[in-house]
Amino acid sequence: MKHDFDIVIVGAGHAGIEAANICNKFGLKTALISNKKDDIGKMSCNPSIGGVGKTHIAREVDVMGGLICKIGDISAIHYRVLNLSKGPAVWGIRAQIDRKLYQKNMYEFISKSKISIIEDEVTDILTNRSMVRGVNTKNNNKIYAKVVILTTGTFLNGNIYFGMEKYEAGRINNKSSKKLARFVKENFQTMRLKTGTPPRIIKDSIEFSKLRPQESENNDIYLSFFTEQNKNKMINCYMTKTTSKTHKIIRDNLHKSAMYSGAIRSQGVRYCPSIEDKIVKFGDRNGHNIFLEPEGYDSNLVYPNGISNSLDKNTQGKFLKTIPGLEKCEISEYGYAVEYDAVDPRNLNKNFESKKIKNLFLAGQINGTTGYEEAAGQGIYAGLNASIKVKKLNIKNNIFSRSNSYIGVMVDDLTKLGVTEPYRMFTSRSEYRLKQRTDNAYERIYPNSKKLKLLNSTDTKIIDAMIKKEKSILKKINKEKFSPNKLLKYGIKTKLDGKIRNGFEVLKLMDPDINLFKRLFNIIINKKLLTKIIFDSKYEVFYEREQRSKDLLIKNQRFKLKGLSFKSIPSLSKEVVEKLEKHKPENLDDASKISGMTPSALFQLLSFKKSKSRNVQSK
Amino acid sequence: MYKPDTIYSSFTPVVKSAVIGYRISGPLTLKILSLLTRFKFKNYPGKVFYKSLYDYSDKIIDRCNIVYFKGPKSFTGEDVAEIYIHGSPAIASHLEKSFSKINPIDFRQAKNGEFLYRAMINNKVSLKQSQAINNIIMSENLQEIDYSKKVLFNGDEESELYDLKESAINIYSKIITSIDFIEDESFDLDSIIKDIRLFFQKIQKIIKKNRTVIEQNNILNVMIIGDVNVGKSTIFNKIIGQERAIVTNIKGTTRDVVAENLLLENKIYRIYDTAGYRKKQGRIELLGYKKALLLSKEINHFLIVFNDALSKNDLNRIKKEFNIKNNFSLVLNKSDTHKKTKNNQYIYLNKSINRQKTIKLLKLQNIHHKYIKKSKEILTVNKNEINFLEKLLENGEFILNQQDLLIIQEIFRNIIDEFSENFGYINNEDMLDNVFSSFCIGK
Repeated sequence: MKHDFDIVIVGAGHAGIEAANICNKFGLKTALISNKKDDIGKMSCNPSIGGVGKTHIAREVDVMGGLICKIGDISAIHYRVLNLSKGPAVWGIRAQIDRKLYQKNMYEFISKSKISIIEDEVTDILTNRSMVRGVNTKNNNKIYAKVVILTTGTFLNGNIYFGMEKYEAGRINNKSSKKLARFVKENFQTMRLKTGTPPRIIKDSIEFSKLRPQESENNDIYLSFFTEQNKNKMINCYMTKTTSKTHKIIRDNLHKSAMYSGAIRSQGVRYCPSIEDKIVKFGDRNGHNIFLEPEGYDSNLVYPNGISNSLDKNTQGKFLKTIPGLEKCEISEYGYAVEYDAVDPRNLNKNFESKKIKNLFLAGQINGTTGYEEAAGQGIYAGLNASIKVKKLNIKNNIFSRSNSYIGVMVDDLTKLGVTEPYRMFTSRSEYRLKQRTDNAYERIYPNSKKLKLLNSTDTKIIDAMIKKEKSILKKINKEKFSPNKLLKYGIKTKLDGKIRNGFEVLKLMDPDINLFKRLFNIIINKKLLTKIIFDSKYEVFYEREQRSKDLLIKNQRFKLKGLSFKSIPSLSKEVVEKLEKHKPENLDDASKISGMTPSALFQLLSFKKSKSRNVQSK
Repeated sequence: MYKPDTIYSSFTPVVKSAVIGYRISGPLTLKILSLLTRFKFKNYPGKVFYKSLYDYSDKIIDRCNIVYFKGPKSFTGEDVAEIYIHGSPAIASHLEKSFSKINPIDFRQAKNGEFLYRAMINNKVSLKQSQAINNIIMSENLQEIDYSKKVLFNGDEESELYDLKESAINIYSKIITSIDFIEDESFDLDSIIKDIRLFFQKIQKIIKKNRTVIEQNNILNVMIIGDVNVGKSTIFNKIIGQERAIVTNIKGTTRDVVAENLLLENKIYRIYDTAGYRKKQGRIELLGYKKALLLSKEINHFLIVFNDALSKNDLNRIKKEFNIKNNFSLVLNKSDTHKKTKNNQYIYLNKSINRQKTIKLLKLQNIHHKYIKKSKEILTVNKNEINFLEKLLENGEFILNQQDLLIIQEIFRNIIDEFSENFGYINNEDMLDNVFSSFCIGK
């Protein structure tokens, strides 16, 4: 069979780029198709990367050889580390990005690689007996490939609302492709989701002198594990708040909001993505925070994070003027709501391949997620699995699993539980978050990226050196012994219990202070490594518990429920059967995670499965 | 298609009595009934029939009342039958033998608690309610029964554990919020620690309050003591209304402490019969006497029984041995054969006085009132739940000394998992639901 490419990726957003990049690293002939070359790496919403939870995914992509962190760092104009006081397990590094710079850097990287960039519109997916054959395009006709990865974001039946004004489109100014949409509709179950974006404000019209500036601050922490410094000039963000006047205007004009007037009918989300939601649900609050984020060095636009809305243009203009600093603001683009179809990710296998059509992979926002980092994580995941499939690699264990990574958690949640609202990563979604940290991402991900040769030689050397150094340091410090009195001399407070501690145990008691470490052990260490070993020591006790629950997880995961008709177990209550039928758990662990599942129902599943296998044996 | 087994069990003790009951539950119920009675119960759910039971060789086992309940309108939610045979253990064993011949694989004796278990998994009762049923049966304390009944009839919310679960989820939500949504809402560690302290204080309060209620509503312990062969066991048997202690004329028949519960007008008494004191004692009997002495600490009231007038010396000796203050009544027994002058301090009993009169004369209800102050508080958790709460308290000190929010969160997740065992699994989405409905989050 003739192939133009091994892998064709449709869409060049954050998912598409990462997918293309990793396929290319596997040495596969890869094509990246985008409607417009200028759209490659476009940040369609806020100009920032990272944040709590999202950082974790980005770091995992980074250590897997992905691009989002590295390109992010060289395009960053402002940094912030969230939760810095709370330990690296929940650190959220966030960088404001110069949009143009990011796109430029990304385009440069891709165009230098062997990836073929095709500027065209994909009109259809070609299949033959439930197997992908390639894509049909507007200008280049048919392009044949072994695997197609669909990363088309929110293009599916997208509608844009400015209040009651409605436009048909995916992103603004993009025409959505009807035929491709029909293909997806025919082969997947879809659901309607909504998202929104705030208005953009002309920078010069904002009175910054009235506002509290937020200076860039990163404590030597960057998006990428491999970034050592950033020479870009850092610029400030600013904070402001809504006022009671703002709330009144919004409340009085709710009937003009697309979301509250009934124009948008898709299922409501639980969190408050829009200012209308915030006012309706929590209007009595003393103002809602707004972060004024610059869009770039030479951009005259500011992104006011926190006021995405679907109000009519007139009301938007009015309520913005009630916000301190924005009294005289001019709007360049009004905020709007987007309603679009997303695929139910439970239609995908665990490797993100369609259950129905072989060799068709889906990644990114089309799977019902939100955020660049979530998209990038899925992109690299789908690209990885597609490459494994094309190259017929024999990899038994899941490279990303719930117990080793946030990408694994996301994949697990999406393919098993599905989504009811755009899925966003939170650290609380991970059961093993003390172990799944940003500072130790290399430890969790590197064994695989090294084996698959996904990192360049410089990066490989950096990590290898770090692992080697950690080993030798731990060996040395464990020979040192400290009494409580000796520790006190170093200013480390501890109970005077006469307990002699070795170096690793002393780490539990200290902060990541490289000078103190040097005084204690006479070893020079960098902060990155010190942070890692300190928190390894602090959380050591909890690893045991996590390990135990991990063991149980693995045991329960081995207990397959696939193909079981829950209805045929009469001893299960109707309610439980409904829940099971809805979630279709593949194994006992999945079942145990369904809300309201009782121990007795699980026991029932167990005993039913056992009695059934006993019957089979006796036959 | 999978079918559960059909199970049977007696639901009354299989002893000589007026009636012995058997319950059958499961899909084979109708088939078994028709095999036993040659009668089709199918069209008559909920109706009582007087029918003959036949065994495997067509012999009549018994003629008795039988009811059939059609599932799901039954206790277990399955087809259920109840058979009330005459109260003969021999008939019962005949019936069980017939059961075992029917179909040994799909029809079997129920395991302990299996009927209730089936009721639970068929959603007839909740996890907590099934525990409540068990508690009602096991409890000897009326307050505890009241509590269990409330949970059983009104639902899980009656348990104060439910409120605690809600607070635990709220605290956990606060922790999640201040980590994952730091830019939307932030709580400092101190405010979270304050909430946690209140949470543990609430647990302590619940434990203390319910402990007191349980203690205050305890059973009144009454011990019958006195010299050998003064008729202690006769009084004991009369009070409890059945022959439990062996009564003979031989001195020292009671060789151990025998105790029985007595329910009188919603008050529970535990009556202890003891071995008497005499100089030449058999070994076992001495053991019994010592046991009685040991138990005396837990006794609220003593009935000191004697036949003739009790000398001051004797009374003092007994009072000293059992460490009795004013918590005793003097009971002159067999007084029909000893014509003595009346003494107001004595309670006069004899064989011919019937049970009710005996109890009345002993003034047991007044005594109960004297010792057991009825608490106005009611139970909000039961004994097992108190144990559960005490287990949670063990985390208290450790968590309150923590400075690392992540470790606090980790321990709190554990606490939530413990609650899951009581109320069904609480997953991430439930927790996020709570976060999103309590706090303004999202950009």
